[in-house]
Amino acid sequence: MSNAFDFPGGIHPPERKQRSNQATLIDAPLPGRVTLPLQQHSGQPATPCVAPGDTVKVGSVIAQREGMISSHLHASISGTVREVSTTQIIIDSDGQDEWNRLPSIDWQRAAPNALFERLNESGIVGLGGAGFPTHIKARVVERHTIHTLVINAAECEPYITADDLTLRHYASDVLEGAQIIAKLCGAQHIVIGIEDNKPEAIEALRQAIQKSQPITVELKVISTRYPSGGERQLIKRLLDLNVPSGGLPADVGVLCHNPGTLLAILHAVRDGQPLVSRVVTLTGEAISQPGNRWVRLGTSIKELLEQVGLDHTALHQVIQGGPMMGAPLLTLDTPVTKLTNCLIAATIVELPPAPVESPCIRCGECESVCPVSLLPQQLHWYARANDDAKMERYHLFDCIECGACSYVCPSHIPLVVDYREAKSRIRLQRIETAKAEYAKHRFEFRQARLAREEAEKQARKEARKSQQRRTPTSAVASSEKVDLRGLRIAHAAAKASVKKAEKTLARVAQEDPKQPLDDLEMQLATAQENLKAAESQLAQAKEQQAASAPSQSEESS
Amino acid sequence: MSDTFDAISMLSAVAVLTGLGLGFGALLGLVSERFKREDNPLVEQIDALLPQTQCGQCGYPGCRPYAEAINQGDALNKCPPGGEATIHALADLLGREPEPLDGEAQSEAKVAFIREAECIGCTKCIQACPVDAIIGAAKLMHTVIEDECTGCDLCLDPCPVDCIDMLPRTAPLHQWQPVIAHSPGLITSDRQPAVGSVHVERL
Repeated sequence: MSNAFDFPGGIHPPERKQRSNQATLIDAPLPGRVTLPLQQHSGQPATPCVAPGDTVKVGSVIAQREGMISSHLHASISGTVREVSTTQIIIDSDGQDEWNRLPSIDWQRAAPNALFERLNESGIVGLGGAGFPTHIKARVVERHTIHTLVINAAECEPYITADDLTLRHYASDVLEGAQIIAKLCGAQHIVIGIEDNKPEAIEALRQAIQKSQPITVELKVISTRYPSGGERQLIKRLLDLNVPSGGLPADVGVLCHNPGTLLAILHAVRDGQPLVSRVVTLTGEAISQPGNRWVRLGTSIKELLEQVGLDHTALHQVIQGGPMMGAPLLTLDTPVTKLTNCLIAATIVELPPAPVESPCIRCGECESVCPVSLLPQQLHWYARANDDAKMERYHLFDCIECGACSYVCPSHIPLVVDYREAKSRIRLQRIETAKAEYAKHRFEFRQARLAREEAEKQARKEARKSQQRRTPTSAVASSEKVDLRGLRIAHAAAKASVKKAEKTLARVAQEDPKQPLDDLEMQLATAQENLKAAESQLAQAKEQQAASAPSQSEESS
Repeated sequence: MSDTFDAISMLSAVAVLTGLGLGFGALLGLVSERFKREDNPLVEQIDALLPQTQCGQCGYPGCRPYAEAINQGDALNKCPPGGEATIHALADLLGREPEPLDGEAQSEAKVAFIREAECIGCTKCIQACPVDAIIGAAKLMHTVIEDECTGCDLCLDPCPVDCIDMLPRTAPLHQWQPVIAHSPGLITSDRQPAVGSVHVERL
């Protein structure tokens, strides 16, 4: 089966997409109240810029991006801000649904900067699941050359049909969004990767491709296999390019976007409509009217599911995301966010709880299905032993957490849970180590500052002393044997370390202008303090020697 | 004839080896003098394993002095902020036996907090802070930069009005750690319902 254009492993879980892809895409009723978490994207949470009691319209900015990787947040209904906390903003609806749109932009004529700014102010993030701010992803051209834009319409996970329905209804709009991104990143090719289990969407795309311009779009239909929707896996299957470990698709000249994101981009540019709603798949045996809905961000999941006929008695669990990579919700009292692509209200028969795990029998099933060719059983071993160094050596961070290994494990070991836990533990350790290193540099800076102050104080004292004793007694001067040579060496070393720190700072600043440079600046300041201390010591010693030299010459004569 | 030959060959071998020895010796001496390091690389490695709180609980003024002391043969178990993990890492590095921690282990990360209404602006805590994490000026209120504070306690003692508290450090949301209880790994025949096991309702 496998050819050069294929990734290793993969599985064929039951698709169960029929349940939600029959109904057409419709708007969910307007919620009476929305709860908007400040962090619905990767990076820093946004900072609120409204106060309780403020009146907002749909599309008003309610929280500004904070720091480099972050995204704006907009009101998804018109009404009054009820509560602003450190984690979320709650808005009560006035039922009017009044919009606050931005002016439309003609993307074919607009300057790239205007488009970048529009993406930024529209709060668009990757709607496929990772939630990476799109305006930053679009700026990838500043450091990479992009030749191909891949539209990731594989949607390989069972149950989810949000992209499928988006494409059926908005195929030409999605392609126009893709043309905008292709223009921004300078891509010469647009390739759509779609699995063959979505015939209607493929047909809609075929129709739309003919009118899409200026760049011709290539449609590649691939056989259905999980996880071909993984960014790296799809790029391998479509273009036969390997994204390096720890790298980005941009490293091989590819940019990957989800159809939903591209549609949101078009809405932002053409209609001036910020990201305030998204398509959510509502499915599972415990609801009576499954299907896809346009849902305003911040809508309560409980209300949303009850609107489509949630049967509380049959419900066993609600999973946010797909059954493979999603997470069961511990409470339904939580809002739809920019990252909620699917809600599965499952009965106990449909998605039974996993049997109690047994010990690993080292059958190697997990290894044969791993799409990244890792050794899940070895990772499992080291994860349970908390051996983080070994896990990193076995490329834990290349794991895409697709869940194929857990799916096939005959011992029902929740392998991916182990890996996620280990990843977050290692990440925390890295943060701690960086923090300790920073504290060390601050401590060194303080030591250097104190030493410099001490040296300067000493120099002043000496200067005063030598002023007082106009006629220095030779005995005092000669007893203070000055180690001028040692001080010179120390001075030169301090000078060299200042130069080195300056060079490092300049190099890092040039390589990655967005990186925080506090720590390196601190190291430079430390080196400078050291240099000042050495200078004043040297000057003092020279003065002493100069003072003692004439007295010695007097003596000898 | 053979005697002289042997003597020559023996002497030449001795001469060559001596020459080589002297040559390489001189080279090594030259290199060690030329590329001499002022600092001790082992001290650097030890210092890297210490938590850098600069708290002085080990009896040395900062982590680096303690690293130097360890290199001189001091005990490994004097760092409460580092805890057992640091002791084990140090023991691994130095090939020594890990010793139990001398003193109470720190249960959680702390951060200093100045009750600003009570601060009299004496600057004593600013002078005590090893990482310059307190800002303020004489007769003006002081405050702690939370991100820079290492939680070392050193500002508590100098404060004349006891207006500094050590509060548990709140981790930001993105540093949240999942709490996962692993099953003991029984084989199927061993399995039985645990006595008093709690069934947690998901919804």
